[in-house]
Amino acid sequence: MEHDNRHMDMDGITFFGAVSAAVTHDMKNFLAIINENAGLLGDLAVNAQNRSLPIDPRKALGISEKIRNQVARADTMIKQFNRFSHSMDHAEETVDVEEMVHLVAGLAARIIRHHGVFLTVTPATVPCRLKVHRFGLLHLIFRAVEIACKILDNGAMDTQKQVLVSFGMDPKVPEICFTLDPVPTGGWDTLFDQPKDLDMRDRVHMAVKTNNTGNGFCLYRIRPDHA
Amino acid sequence: MSEKVLLVDDEKEFLDIMSERMEARGMTVKTADSADQALAMLEKESFDAIVMDFKMPGMDGIQALKNIKSQKPELQIILLTGYATVEKTVEAMKIGATDLLEKPADLESLAAKIKQAKADKMLLVEKKTEEKIKDILQRFSG
Repeated sequence: MEHDNRHMDMDGITFFGAVSAAVTHDMKNFLAIINENAGLLGDLAVNAQNRSLPIDPRKALGISEKIRNQVARADTMIKQFNRFSHSMDHAEETVDVEEMVHLVAGLAARIIRHHGVFLTVTPATVPCRLKVHRFGLLHLIFRAVEIACKILDNGAMDTQKQVLVSFGMDPKVPEICFTLDPVPTGGWDTLFDQPKDLDMRDRVHMAVKTNNTGNGFCLYRIRPDHA
Repeated sequence: MSEKVLLVDDEKEFLDIMSERMEARGMTVKTADSADQALAMLEKESFDAIVMDFKMPGMDGIQALKNIKSQKPELQIILLTGYATVEKTVEAMKIGATDLLEKPADLESLAAKIKQAKADKMLLVEKKTEEKIKDILQRFSG
């Protein structure tokens, strides 16, 4: 049992590392764009000085707008990363699953993009809440997204790859579904069958099944929730 | 003569602003948003140097570097990366990268490296031409 816990802890650290790497890489890109915009402002000032002409106010405004946009992107990313970092603060608590999916989609945006996949989250029609360890749920959702992307990696290169995330209609049976396009042939039975995946699912008391239309999979709660 | 550069990055805004600043410094800049697009452009056009992001969707930096080097061995490739570790730098250099710069990079030092890259490329081309001439002369004299 102690061994299993260590196994799960190592997986958790690996997950934290993967998210941190992706986020810090994105942050560097935001900084690079801000840096170039600041440099462009400097270029404008030098040019204006050399030619004894005023700086074009429209050009300067455009640059300042671009800097603000990048600062907003970086701010969103830092907020998401901060929420992610605090996901380990508490034991089980009632969490909004849809919010967790959005958090993973934001944090893993770079990883998803690298697979050439577009991920869309359909808003839940009924509240989708679970009493669960927040970090464990984020880890499982991240793993589900990773699995979906890897399945789509095997498809044709020139087709648009999409993952649609939706939620169950029954608030008593929380469910997160991943619909894949293009539809791969088979392979659903072996999803989440690695020991680390089983540990991950057990930790949040969730199981996996093929979705109703056969073009994806759903994660659902196997333990009655008293949240 | 100005340096002709192919700038490759998946961030469109970065491509736009970098190319504007590089062109203001007298360089001729073309852009590509993926390694695949860069490889397709290399088949049609020649460049003095490539400035390429190391991590992009699709083909990864190491694979892109290998493919470009096998297609155009004399081409100088300067890599841009979020985090330049010693291991990553050594690996990239072994495959044939000219240099590896960390983002955000200083444009003046990048411009200097591009100038140097063009000079290095010209030397390589000259050397190749000399070898060809030597080879032809040897064949005729033999």
